[in-house]
Amino acid sequence: MIWNPAILAQLAWTGLSNASFTCLFAISLALVLKVNRVWNFAQAGMMVVSYGCMLAIARPLGLPTALGFGLIATIGFSLALERYGFRPLRRRGSSSLTFFIFTLVVSQFCTYVAELIFGTEPTTLIDDVVTPISMIGDVAVSGWDLRAVGVTTALALMLAGFLRLTRWGQRLIAVADSPDLAELYGTSRDTAYAVGMTLAAILTTIGMLLLGTKAATVPASALQEFLVQALLATILAGVGNIFAAAVAAVVVGVGQSFAVLFMASKWTPLLVYALMAVAIVLFPAGVNVRAVLRIPSLAWARR
Amino acid sequence: MSAVLQITALCKSFGGLIVADNITLRLHPGQIVGLIGPNGAGKTSLFNLVTGAVRPDSGRIELDGTRIDGMTMAERARMGIARTWQHARSFRSLTVLDNLLLGVRDYPGDSLFGSLLRRRAGIAQEREAEARAMALLERVRLAHKAHALAAELSYGQQKLMGMARALMGDGACLLLDEPMAAVEGRTYAIMRDVIQEEAQRGQAVCLVEHNVSFVRDLCSRGVFMAAGRVLADGPVDELMRVKELNALYFGAAA
Amino acid sequence: MPVQYLITLATLAALSGLLAISLNLVLGYGGLLSVAHPMFYGIGAYTSAILAMHAGVPLPVAAVAAALVCALASAPLAVCSLRVSGDYFVIVSMGFQLGVLQIINNIDLTGATGGLSNIPALFDGPSRGALSLGILLLAVAAVMVLIQSIIHGPFGRALTAMRNDEDALAMLGRDPMRMKMSIFALSSAIAGFAGALYAHIFQYLSPTQFGLETSTALLTMVVVGGTATIWGPLLGALVITVVPQAIQFLQLPVSVSAPLQGIIFSLLVLLFLFLRPQGLMGGSRGGGGLDAWSGRRLIAARPGMNPAA
Repeated sequence: MIWNPAILAQLAWTGLSNASFTCLFAISLALVLKVNRVWNFAQAGMMVVSYGCMLAIARPLGLPTALGFGLIATIGFSLALERYGFRPLRRRGSSSLTFFIFTLVVSQFCTYVAELIFGTEPTTLIDDVVTPISMIGDVAVSGWDLRAVGVTTALALMLAGFLRLTRWGQRLIAVADSPDLAELYGTSRDTAYAVGMTLAAILTTIGMLLLGTKAATVPASALQEFLVQALLATILAGVGNIFAAAVAAVVVGVGQSFAVLFMASKWTPLLVYALMAVAIVLFPAGVNVRAVLRIPSLAWARR
Repeated sequence: MSAVLQITALCKSFGGLIVADNITLRLHPGQIVGLIGPNGAGKTSLFNLVTGAVRPDSGRIELDGTRIDGMTMAERARMGIARTWQHARSFRSLTVLDNLLLGVRDYPGDSLFGSLLRRRAGIAQEREAEARAMALLERVRLAHKAHALAAELSYGQQKLMGMARALMGDGACLLLDEPMAAVEGRTYAIMRDVIQEEAQRGQAVCLVEHNVSFVRDLCSRGVFMAAGRVLADGPVDELMRVKELNALYFGAAA
Repeated sequence: MPVQYLITLATLAALSGLLAISLNLVLGYGGLLSVAHPMFYGIGAYTSAILAMHAGVPLPVAAVAAALVCALASAPLAVCSLRVSGDYFVIVSMGFQLGVLQIINNIDLTGATGGLSNIPALFDGPSRGALSLGILLLAVAAVMVLIQSIIHGPFGRALTAMRNDEDALAMLGRDPMRMKMSIFALSSAIAGFAGALYAHIFQYLSPTQFGLETSTALLTMVVVGGTATIWGPLLGALVITVVPQAIQFLQLPVSVSAPLQGIIFSLLVLLFLFLRPQGLMGGSRGGGGLDAWSGRRLIAARPGMNPAA
């Protein structure tokens, strides 16, 4: 009965739609890693800032206004993070540990402040998170599902377009590849870093909007749940592969959804952590499917 | 004459870049072999393969008849392979003497628990090692710097220290990566003497060097490499007379 | 009452001291950026508590067993450090920690999220607090002596060399992997022992005590005091434990005082990070401090880069 195709399709769809915000978080994390070259654990802080800001405004002034303020606040926060955090640390030639402690403590600081203001009870951005459900074949699809998948796809495409087609996108990639060389050709690295953080802030805020209109969350889950998932996706994708991180987030999301067939749902986070450790130890450069397939053929060719 | 180090059909590539293409080479005790060839010929890579910094794709490496290509770097070093680098790679926050003391093999201080439990044996051995280290420092004219931090030494002094450190292990096979690069005058003479002395003591010495006159002075045998392959192997003077090799070397190096 | 409070505070500071000193062995002297230290603290605490509660094992034996279990539990993490280092190892250790926490949170043996209570006490009677503190201070002194003798001996020399240049050390016949595994084992055993003491002094365990917050707190103690210094971590533990306690005197409700304590703590960390990165004890010469690892920045390794010369 468990292998009923309708159930499998439902699990796949639910996993896919729930992966939408994780996908945005993963893209954001991978983007900052590529451009700013920082494992940005402070992204959890960005999530908390955007969520807290939207939470404070959503009920009195409505969701669109809340999103506007959320975007402004998160972008401001992220720019400050780069300007007054990463930049001085970078100039000092700080070690990984310094960046790790800094970014993690920023996240914890934001979490504590949010807990002080909003308490530790789970909250949503809107009172009614139930959206109309329609049946497509045997699969139940909610309005939120469609919106989430649509928004995420659109944002990913827009980001891809920005990076490939616009002048600024190409400058960003140039700085990511070689900051010194890019600077030689007239692209300021500080500006590129700021653009990277701004993009990450936008993606994070919209991700939190999707999350907050779907399920109740507490400030602490930003760090312990959502950031860890984004981290896993980034690691699986390998450093520098922004869109591979998005794909990895979807794969992990769908996989987690299917995992309920084999184990109690309380154990699926364990799967994420285990996968993260295994992935990073076995594939420190990411799971490169093409390379894995190509190596044997080369070995044959030589003999 | 039996070989100290025997390399047989060694292959290694990184993706499409081939750094070792079916290399077969023997190093004999007391012989100084010069590895020459253009940049990117795979000379340093060969050292990396022999020391275990890089794993070969195929082929075998034997030291005194024992196969070592599956061993870790530390195991190979304990078997008797010593090496220096083009840049000295000193332990910068330690003194010169401490740098050398780390080169002793089979030392109780090697392990955490050994250093705690066998203190007395350790102290006796430490004295003995210190005496040996000082003698080596004497040989490279660095005894007066024994208690200076390695970071405070000049470039040439660091290279001499690296050389002395490699000799602390009392190995059988000495691999020297550009020992003479950016070294001149007195340091050059000291380095040359030490290398010659070590060969006379029966070590198999193999060195990578771009300084042709130095290779001609010191090495009885030359091995010419290009694109990961051994193109010629013989007396240095003969190699230098081969026009094709000269063209390859100077053409590619320019 | 104030005396009781001071004893409790000193007990907490001494426990943190033990943890910070042992973490410094891995982090400062070993150069391994592990955040999973609270995991060993937790494993030790739970092991000792469970042995004492369910198997009736005498407390000293249970505590030693806890230390041994932690030494063994450190092996998988130490093996990972062979393959990955720097920021990658941070993430691996974080994965380990969150994974173990997830297990503790969900199995009956550890009391799941409710935690364990009524753990057998180390001492009974009115002066139990002072006695426990005495034992702890002895443990701190013993560990300090141990670490001092390691660091000033030949093994400490090899550790410094390993931080400077691992490959060059391996080329001298020293096995960096074995060195890392042994300091990891020792450091985790100390953390496990500290955990056991914690369990039997406070008689209550909850999974939340061993999470990422504790990781940052411990990292901070080491950093504030000065990494790779002998006295730094102890001093850091003192500062980080005592300063946020000031808030207790304001008599605020827990829902306010808990986050406020966290805020004070994280501000303290940020302040130190930017104003005194070398820590309280770190000097200019001889390293120490946050940037004791030269050249290992948080710059992503480029996949596809060729190591060939």
